[in-house]
Amino acid sequence: MTLIQIILAAGIVIIAAYMYLRLRSTLFDVIMILFFLIIGIVFVMFNELTDIIAHFLGISRGADMIFYLGILFLFFLILKLYSRLRRIEQKFTELVRNKSIEEAEELSERTPSEDKKN
Amino acid sequence: MTEVVEQGYKVVVVDDCSVDSSKKQLQGLKLYYLRHRTNMGQGAALQTGIEFAKKKGAKYFVTFDADGQHDCRDIPVMVEVLQKNRSDIVFGSRFLPGARTNISGARSFVLNVARYVNYLVSGILLSDAYNGLRVFNAKAAGFLKITENKMAHATEIQLLVAKNKLSYSEFPNNIQYNEYTKRKGLRNIDGLKIVFEILLFKIFR
Repeated sequence: MTLIQIILAAGIVIIAAYMYLRLRSTLFDVIMILFFLIIGIVFVMFNELTDIIAHFLGISRGADMIFYLGILFLFFLILKLYSRLRRIEQKFTELVRNKSIEEAEELSERTPSEDKKN
Repeated sequence: MTEVVEQGYKVVVVDDCSVDSSKKQLQGLKLYYLRHRTNMGQGAALQTGIEFAKKKGAKYFVTFDADGQHDCRDIPVMVEVLQKNRSDIVFGSRFLPGARTNISGARSFVLNVARYVNYLVSGILLSDAYNGLRVFNAKAAGFLKITENKMAHATEIQLLVAKNKLSYSEFPNNIQYNEYTKRKGLRNIDGLKIVFEILLFKIFR
């Protein structure tokens, strides 16, 4: 076992533990976390496995394949997050707008004492 | 602002959470004052104003930038044009013959690019893509739902006009740039930001 394998495996375990602590609400979540934990550990420990899949896809190294797929996945994630952000922003805008319409004030004509300001 | 109010129009001011005590400066003018609790951008403020005016049962709507670049004498003429042409919306234009403006060459160029960008997005080619002065009727107001809070709203309005097949026309208006409007307004480089906003808007609509 090389050092990088230990670092990566430890990272995966920590992330999985963190996810478990944050969203242990449903059984489905736990199964998903376990699933990805096992897949991650297996790929880190037996990285020749990724090479086999990579060859099948026409990529020479498994690490490269993970890199390509990772970029794709991250990009997808950013788009998802961005669209969610926009939705939240629109809801928030709606709230602020309604509040401001509710609280609209009708300012009145000038009075002599205020004339100086204008 | 004082001039618009004095002409007897019902004015709605939307204060987008500005820090310059706008309300105090407006004190003594007969108008409706709305304040956003947090800064959301010009597009959001426009939509707030439009919705408020709709609630008040307005028949005609005029959007008017608050920095004093517009000339309120254009308003009655544009309303007339709206009625005469039976348009749903009349866009102000600083580039049509008859308009008076002291616009800089660089700004002209940026706006010229912008109108083609807007054309690509909406299919409508206006002579002035980013003019804050617009007059429209209640039908158009019903369709205007600006979701672009920041600067891309001008493009979005064009798009909504195209999508809902509203009839539109353009009318030359006067725009005067002074030190204040230049300081408050957009810089030319903001054009790039707007293009980016439009791109995101197209993807995530």
